[in-house]
Amino acid sequence: MTLTDVLEKDLVKVPLQATTKNEIIEELVDVLVKARRLHNREEILAAVLAREALGSTGLADGVAVPHAKTAAVTSVSVVMGITPKPIDFDAQDGKGSQFFFLVLAPEKESSAYIEVLVSIARATSSPVMRRLLASARSSDDVMRFFMD
Amino acid sequence: MVPFKRVLVYLDGSEDSVMAAMAAIALAKRLDATLTAMYVVNTRALQDLVKARIFLDIEEQEYRRDIEGDALRYLNHVQEMGLQKGVEVTPVKASGTVHTEVRNYLQEHTIDLLVLGGISEIHSRRDELLSETDRMMRTAPCPVLVVRDNDAIWDMFESLPNVKPEAENDTY
Repeated sequence: MTLTDVLEKDLVKVPLQATTKNEIIEELVDVLVKARRLHNREEILAAVLAREALGSTGLADGVAVPHAKTAAVTSVSVVMGITPKPIDFDAQDGKGSQFFFLVLAPEKESSAYIEVLVSIARATSSPVMRRLLASARSSDDVMRFFMD
Repeated sequence: MVPFKRVLVYLDGSEDSVMAAMAAIALAKRLDATLTAMYVVNTRALQDLVKARIFLDIEEQEYRRDIEGDALRYLNHVQEMGLQKGVEVTPVKASGTVHTEVRNYLQEHTIDLLVLGGISEIHSRRDELLSETDRMMRTAPCPVLVVRDNDAIWDMFESLPNVKPEAENDTY
């Protein structure tokens, strides 16, 4: 299983409106809750924030991958969002983050979860992919960049 | 008749891979072939996630334990399914890069058929977005059987006579 097996257009938001780290996480969670009509927003949010408290998931080159295992989802789920400008996400390179991948998985899907996370790391390590994502103006653009 | 005498089924913790195991058991029974079930703990991926700093060390350890546990559970489950149908299944647990470990095992043990489940649709032409199952299919040195039709496989498996009663509470 890879990112493209779970990424769906209604789980992509471009642009994200939030301007702070916690607001970004909340906005990504809200995209999932709304699209999948979930009733456990607070449980998901708590799981992601608890993981984030252990150490920032802001990576280098504008990419952030907040993630958590939670019983609130029944399968591996990814929400992708892009902010118009980089925001402070406590990234490891000290720069702002612009490309956000929220990854959630139930307890029993560890292997699939890891494969999805690795595929995000591989795909976003490409400068070409990051340039494409920076040029995205809609969820259609993002889907095309990953699926083409 | 194609002389498949050494069959290997790859398990990854998915329902599709269990279905592939059912097909492999039925096939091994009909062909009187040996059957190996293999699960590779993807330690390469775990290391990559730590290196990319997506995972903390504590998460890497936690997931490694989870997946080690999954490997044993799924291998035991497939061994049990084989016993029910009178097919001895040799369990193999390895760790490393999944498709590399599988390819090496296929070569070293002269396996002549690899059975896989869960090949996903082609979503992307980007190599970095290929799944481990796709990589296995592309790099296997032997013929590959991809199991797709779950209902037909289920019927084929169930039509084999049981030689041992189904274990109670046999969950994986």
